[in-house]
Amino acid sequence: MPTKKPTNTKKQTQETMQNRIKELQEEIKKLQTDVKDKNDKFLRTLADYQNYQKRMEKEAVSREEEVKKKYLFELLDFQELLKKAYADNDPKEGLKLLINNFNKLFEKEDVKYIECKGKPFDHTFHYAISTTEKNDCNDGTILEEVKKGYMIGDKLLRPSQVIVVKKKG
Amino acid sequence: MSKIIGIDLGTTNSEAAYIEAGKPVVIKSAEGQPYFPSVVAFTKTGEMLVGEAAKRQAVTNIEGTVQRIKRKMGTNEKIKIRGKTYTPQQISAFILQKIKKDAEDYLGEKITDAVITVPAYFNDDQRQATKDAGAIAGFNVKRIINEPTAAALAYGLDKEGDHKIAVYDFGGGTLDVTLMEVGGGVFEVLATNGDTQLGGSDMDQALVDYIAKEFQKQHNADLHKDPKTLQRILEAVEAAKIELSSTLQTDINLPYITVVDGEPKHLEMKLSRAKFEEIIAPIVERSKPPCHQALKDAKLKPADIDHVVLVGGTTRIPLVQKTVEEIFGQKPKREVDPMECVAIGAAIQAGVMSGEISKDIVLLDVTPLTLSLETLGGVATPLIDRNTTVPTRKSKVFSTAADSQTSVEINILQGERSMAADNKSLGRFHLDGILPAPRGIPQIEVTFDIDVNGIMNVSAKDLGTGKEQSIRITGSTKLSDSEIERMKKEAKEHEDEDKKRKEKIEIRNTADSLVHSTEKTLEELKDKFSSEDKENLEKALKELREALTGDDIDKIKENSDKLTQELQKASTKIYQQAAQQYQQTNSGDPSKSDESWKGHPSNDDSTINADYKVKGEKKKKKDEDTE
Repeated sequence: MPTKKPTNTKKQTQETMQNRIKELQEEIKKLQTDVKDKNDKFLRTLADYQNYQKRMEKEAVSREEEVKKKYLFELLDFQELLKKAYADNDPKEGLKLLINNFNKLFEKEDVKYIECKGKPFDHTFHYAISTTEKNDCNDGTILEEVKKGYMIGDKLLRPSQVIVVKKKG
Repeated sequence: MSKIIGIDLGTTNSEAAYIEAGKPVVIKSAEGQPYFPSVVAFTKTGEMLVGEAAKRQAVTNIEGTVQRIKRKMGTNEKIKIRGKTYTPQQISAFILQKIKKDAEDYLGEKITDAVITVPAYFNDDQRQATKDAGAIAGFNVKRIINEPTAAALAYGLDKEGDHKIAVYDFGGGTLDVTLMEVGGGVFEVLATNGDTQLGGSDMDQALVDYIAKEFQKQHNADLHKDPKTLQRILEAVEAAKIELSSTLQTDINLPYITVVDGEPKHLEMKLSRAKFEEIIAPIVERSKPPCHQALKDAKLKPADIDHVVLVGGTTRIPLVQKTVEEIFGQKPKREVDPMECVAIGAAIQAGVMSGEISKDIVLLDVTPLTLSLETLGGVATPLIDRNTTVPTRKSKVFSTAADSQTSVEINILQGERSMAADNKSLGRFHLDGILPAPRGIPQIEVTFDIDVNGIMNVSAKDLGTGKEQSIRITGSTKLSDSEIERMKKEAKEHEDEDKKRKEKIEIRNTADSLVHSTEKTLEELKDKFSSEDKENLEKALKELREALTGDDIDKIKENSDKLTQELQKASTKIYQQAAQQYQQTNSGDPSKSDESWKGHPSNDDSTINADYKVKGEKKKKKDEDTE
C-alpha cells in the first residue's frame, strides 16, 4: 500500500470540499435572493388582488347605484303623472294610459306575468300561502291568486302567491 | 388545496360561507338568496324538493314536507313520508346536499370538506348525528363547532387574551344564550340557556294582531278571516319591522285590503317606534330570564363579561339591543351581519384549517391615509389612496410648470386634505438637471413604492435624461389610531372648504395654461390672424394676466372664458380662410383633407399636467408661478 498518497489525496479532498462549500454557499445565497424576490412578488400579487377586491366592491356599489337611478327616474315620471291623475276629476282615461306605459316598461325589460288561476300548482313559479278544501275541483289546482307573480326573461322575478285546492280525505 | 366551506345548519334557514383571499364570502343559493330554507319535501309524484322550492309548496303538502328537523337531531325518531322512512340525519343530509351542490355551482369547483356548526347545548349524540348528516351528503366533515364559538370567531375574539363572551342569539323561532371563556384560542362553554319557542315570528304575529284589531275598530271588519289579507299584512309588518330599526315612524298603507258592504276599504296606519316597542316588549322581556339564568349557572356577574355578541335577525331591532345592553351592562357588538355571523365564523375556522387563513399571509398592512404629491398651486395630488393593501407601487407622469425649469421639488404628503399645506409632509427632495424646455414638455415619472414593512421609496425620474433621485421613508403605514382618526376627522370637517379651495386653484391653473398657450398661438400664427382679432386677443390676454395677479377667482374665470371665446372666434376665421384657399387650389376634393392628419399624432393624453412648484424661480417668474 502506498504511504504518501493518502496525505496528497487528503489535501485534494480538502480542497474539493472547500470548493464545494463555496459553491454551495453561493447557491444558498442565490436561492435566498430568489426566495426573497419570489416572496416579494407573491406578497405584491396578493396585495394587488386585495386592492382589486376593494375596487370591485366599490364598483359593485356604484353599479347598483346606477341601476337604482335608472329605475328611480322612471318611477319619478310615473309619480308625477299619478299626481296629475289624482287631481283630475275624471282620471280613468289618463290612468289607462299610465298603466299602458307601465306595461311597456315591463315589456321592454322582458317581464312576463305568470298565469296561474285554475292551473296545477307548481313550486317553480308559485308560492302557496294557504289551502282551501273544495271537492268540485282537482286537488292541487290553484283556486285564487293572492299576488301576481312575474318572470324576468327565463328567470323567476317573484313567484305568484296562491291559494291551492285541497280535497278532503 | 381545495376549499373548505363553513355551514350554519339552522332550524329554519341555513347559511354557507367560504374564505377568498382572506375574506369571508357568503354563498348564494341557486335561487339567488344568501340563505337556504331548511325545508325538505317529497311531492306526490315522488320528486324531492329542498330549500326555497320546498318552502313554497309547504302548505299544499303538509304531510310530505319536513321542517325544523334540527330539533329532532340525535333522537331515534323516524320520519315517515309517502311510505318511506327517514332518519333526521338523512333529512339534514338533503339540506346539506343542496348547499353542497349550490356552493359548487357558485364557486365553480368541487367541494368535499366542510365545517358545520351546532348549538352549544347539543350533546354528543346530536353532534354525531350532525356529523353523520354531513357524511351522508358527501362531505368530509372536518370539524363540528359551536354556533356561539363561530360567532365569536367572526368577530376575531379568539385573538385577544383570556376573556369571557356572551352570545345572544335571537332568531326567527328560537333564543339561545351562551356564555363562554376564551383563552389561547380555545373556547370553553360556561353556561347555555334559551327558549325554543321564542323568536321574531312571535313579534310578527303580535303586530299582525294589533293591526287587525285597529282595523276592526275603524271599519268593523275582521281581517283575520281571509288568508289573502293576512299574507299582505304579514309582508307589510316585516317591512315595517326593518324600517323601524332605523326610523322613528313608518306608514303601513295597504290599499284595497278588503271589501265591506260592497265598498273597498284601505288600510292606512302610522306605526311609531314607541308603539312598535310597546307591542313587542313582552316578547323581548321573555329573553331576560334565560340570560340571568345562564349568568347564575356560570357563577358570573354581568360585569365579568368582556364582550357581548349579537346573532340572529331579531337582534337588528333597537329595543332588543337596548335590552341586551341592560342585561349585560355594555353595548353589544354588531358590526358583522347577525344573520351571516355564524356561517362566516365557520368559514373562518375552515379557512384556518385549509391554510387559506395563515397568520403570516393575510396580515398585510393597509395605508391608513392617502399618500400624495404636492403639485402646482399647493394642491395634494393622490398617488396611493387610503386603505390600499401594501406592498404596492404606483407611478404617474408629471411635467414642469414653467419654461426652462431645470429642477422640480418632490414633496411627499400624507393625509386626506386637498391642499398640501394641510397634510403631513413625510419628506421632500429635488430632482435637478432637467433640460431647459418649454413648460409641460419634460416628462417626470414619480413612483411611490411601499414594501411589506411599510417602508416607502419615492423616486422621480426624468424620462428624457434618465436622471433619477429617490428618498426612503419609513413608517408610512404606522400611525397611531388617534392620529389617523384626527386626520380623518379634520378632512371631513374641512371637506367643503377644501373642495372650494381646490376648485379655485384649478381655475387659476387652467387660466395660467390658457395665458401660456395663447401667447404661443399668437406668436406662431401672427401672420394669419387679422389685426382686429390680434388686438382683441391681446386685450383679453392682458385682462386675464391682470386678473391673475389678483385674488378674485370670479374675475379670473370670467376673463378666461372671454379669452377662450376670442381665441375660438379667431381660430374659426383662420380655418374658414384655409378651407377657401384649399377649395381654390384643390378643385374641392374634401376626401384629400384627411391626408394631412396622418403625420400628426395627437398629444399623449396620459401625461398629467399637474405641474410642480418651481424651485428657486419663484421670485423671478412671479407672473407664472401661481402659488
